[in-house]
Amino acid sequence: MVLLCYCWFSDLLLSKAFLACRIEGQPEHLLCSLLLVIADIVSALLIRSTGQSLHKSYVQHLEALDLFKFSEESGMLPSGDIAALVYLWNPFTIVACVGLSTSPIENLAILLALYGACKGLVPLAAFGWVLATHMSLYPAILIIPIILFLGYGPDAPPRKLFLQRSYRKCGTSSSSDQYRKTEDVTDPLELRINFSWRRVMQFLLWTFIWGIYFLLLCDISVKQYGGLSEMFKRTYGFILTVKDLSPNIGVLWYFFAEVFNFFRDFFLIVFHVNILFMILPLAIRLKHRPGFLAFVYLAISSMFKSYPSIGDSALYLGVVALFVNELADMNFSFFLFCGYVGVSLLSPVMHNLWIWRGTGNANFYFATAMAYACLQIVLVVESVSAMLNHDRKLRKITTAQLADGKS
Amino acid sequence: MYARFCFFSLSRMATLWILLSLACWNSFAGASSSSSSEASMHTNNWAVLVCTSRFWFNYRHMANTLSLYRTVKRLGIPDERIILMLADDMACNSRNKYPAQVFNNENHRLNLYGDNVEVDYRGYEVTVENFFRVLTGRHETSVPRSKRLLSDEGSHILLYMTGHGGDEFLKFQDSEELQSHDLADAVKQMKEKRRFKELLIMVDTCQAATLFNQLHSPGVLAIGSSRKGENSYSHHLDSDVGVSVVDRFTFYTLAYFERVNMYDNASLSSLFSSYNPSLLMSTTYYRTDLYQRHLEQVPVTNFFGSVMETIYTDSPYRSPQRKDSHKGDIRMSSDQSIEDEKGKMPCEADVVDNGDLDAVQQGLLGYIWSDLHMKLESFGDGDTLVYYGMLMLAPFLAVSTWISL
Repeated sequence: MVLLCYCWFSDLLLSKAFLACRIEGQPEHLLCSLLLVIADIVSALLIRSTGQSLHKSYVQHLEALDLFKFSEESGMLPSGDIAALVYLWNPFTIVACVGLSTSPIENLAILLALYGACKGLVPLAAFGWVLATHMSLYPAILIIPIILFLGYGPDAPPRKLFLQRSYRKCGTSSSSDQYRKTEDVTDPLELRINFSWRRVMQFLLWTFIWGIYFLLLCDISVKQYGGLSEMFKRTYGFILTVKDLSPNIGVLWYFFAEVFNFFRDFFLIVFHVNILFMILPLAIRLKHRPGFLAFVYLAISSMFKSYPSIGDSALYLGVVALFVNELADMNFSFFLFCGYVGVSLLSPVMHNLWIWRGTGNANFYFATAMAYACLQIVLVVESVSAMLNHDRKLRKITTAQLADGKS
Repeated sequence: MYARFCFFSLSRMATLWILLSLACWNSFAGASSSSSSEASMHTNNWAVLVCTSRFWFNYRHMANTLSLYRTVKRLGIPDERIILMLADDMACNSRNKYPAQVFNNENHRLNLYGDNVEVDYRGYEVTVENFFRVLTGRHETSVPRSKRLLSDEGSHILLYMTGHGGDEFLKFQDSEELQSHDLADAVKQMKEKRRFKELLIMVDTCQAATLFNQLHSPGVLAIGSSRKGENSYSHHLDSDVGVSVVDRFTFYTLAYFERVNMYDNASLSSLFSSYNPSLLMSTTYYRTDLYQRHLEQVPVTNFFGSVMETIYTDSPYRSPQRKDSHKGDIRMSSDQSIEDEKGKMPCEADVVDNGDLDAVQQGLLGYIWSDLHMKLESFGDGDTLVYYGMLMLAPFLAVSTWISL
């Protein structure tokens, strides 16, 4: 299986390089496209190993809950491999790479952060987070899943189940195995119950270090252009104030083209706070599943970003495939698949009709952008409800087992 | 009978006397009017430059008019006193290989269509009716001042027309004609309304001289590029642009004017004698019978340029003294040059003061930051430092990750 995967990887690398070669024959473009292809490959490898560690911890947690007989090893899909393949073979990823956009590098930074957080490599996670935030502003909200990863560990069923299990063990068995002295951080039970502040503090320290490093380098390099304040105004300020209203796959440009200047600031705040308001409730509800929380944050920020692109959707579609086992019962999956295919086919057509032929107008293109946003909303809602249903199912089974055990 | 004879002789003498006095009065009035027309001073110069043909293959007519426009501006007539009428747009024509550029020579040394070309009548606005409205000043009230010939009795007007023409007519826009008697009537109206002091009409078309056949107003000088039965030819074909770029008559006129600058005293007779019939392949014809002055005494800048006689006054309310005019010229020019120099001096001192304010406003953190910054910058060139920093990033990351494993 792994060998097959690597064959596919190399095949994809060759195909991407071929595509990139065909478009531009000059060496700089060749180097640039090679860099982006390498970024994509490394991202896929990172997704794969993140998926593997998530899968391993999932199996461990199910064992700890004595539910392992419930789901057999062969029935469970290798989510890491699948997610890596989904990411590599996603047409959106390929298009973003061939179009020489910087999305592959931003995705690499985000995945580096998630990988580091999942494996517990604090400097790596901090580096990835600082790099991703520096490149585009929105990955800053991923600090919450990363802190949850480092504090609690990878995705697991809700804490309550472990608490119930441990109380039951306390109640029925002898006291020998509950006073374990080893502070083994990979022991899921310990981690589920205690929140490791030490690692979070380390993470914050490393963030600070990497942040200073980056800011210093930026300051020196932009000295002649007006310094750091100018850089922030031009990068973060531009993202937040949405100065340029060129059409894109998002929904902000159409709205801000027609809003009155008096209300412009208000609506900017509304759009950006839309992302911020959803952070806290989701964090509260999904704190035991930081990986999935990261996916939901990525999807939400991709929806309400000021300048989204399909590179963002390439990322979250790759990350959602990490949870194929939990999201197996998701509703509307076929509808979403067809919707994505339809939007990705119609959107360039409508753009062409509007801009190049002049037989359509902005509404044609904006309709596809709105359909795309609706699809993303449906994806987020359905995947969150599927995940919560999965947790509910686990809880029902463990309480049934407990009831069985008791009685 | 003697009384009757006396009476008759007396009445005859009276009528004779009355007639004589009337005649004297008339002549006196006539003399005074003629002397008053001669007494009007030359105060300003105007130019009306008309290109009457459209279509791409008539590129040379546009280039003719623009060349003369450039010459006339160079010699001093400002845009406010030039009426430029172009019947088509060659610069932005889709067939123009050099967009927004019009050349009058195949060496392309001179772009006639620069940044400060003001076209007053363009495209389909160039019609015979509009042309006459410009000349006679009978516009509708909505026509803006830039499109009116606001000349007065002290004006010298240069009227240059180019296009396709023939026996006693000139073709406008491929659909109408300007006829010689119409032109003569318009000039007569102008004279009646005292819209010019002297008028130079210069026409570069085939059989141009026939256009002046009906002129009879005094103060009009006319020159045409060819006589009746002769054609005026283009000068050369520019194989790059694809059409002929200038006509011979205008080419040699420009060749003459390129040697002239604003302060030259070259006379009109030297201009008129500079035309060589064998080079022009046509005979220029100029009509001077309506023009009182001798051509050797008229400088070309009287029509083609704009050199004013300046009169220096001590205070604004005294009457101008004409005798001091020569001295006034020199004094005005020297005063102006001193004022120019004075004007340039104070501008340079303001720039220096802005840099010092920034240093005062930083707090403690800012001070630390800038200190760190300056230390780092002292290491060398900013760019290489950034490259080293980025290169150090990867090993630093690897080491830190390995440590935390």
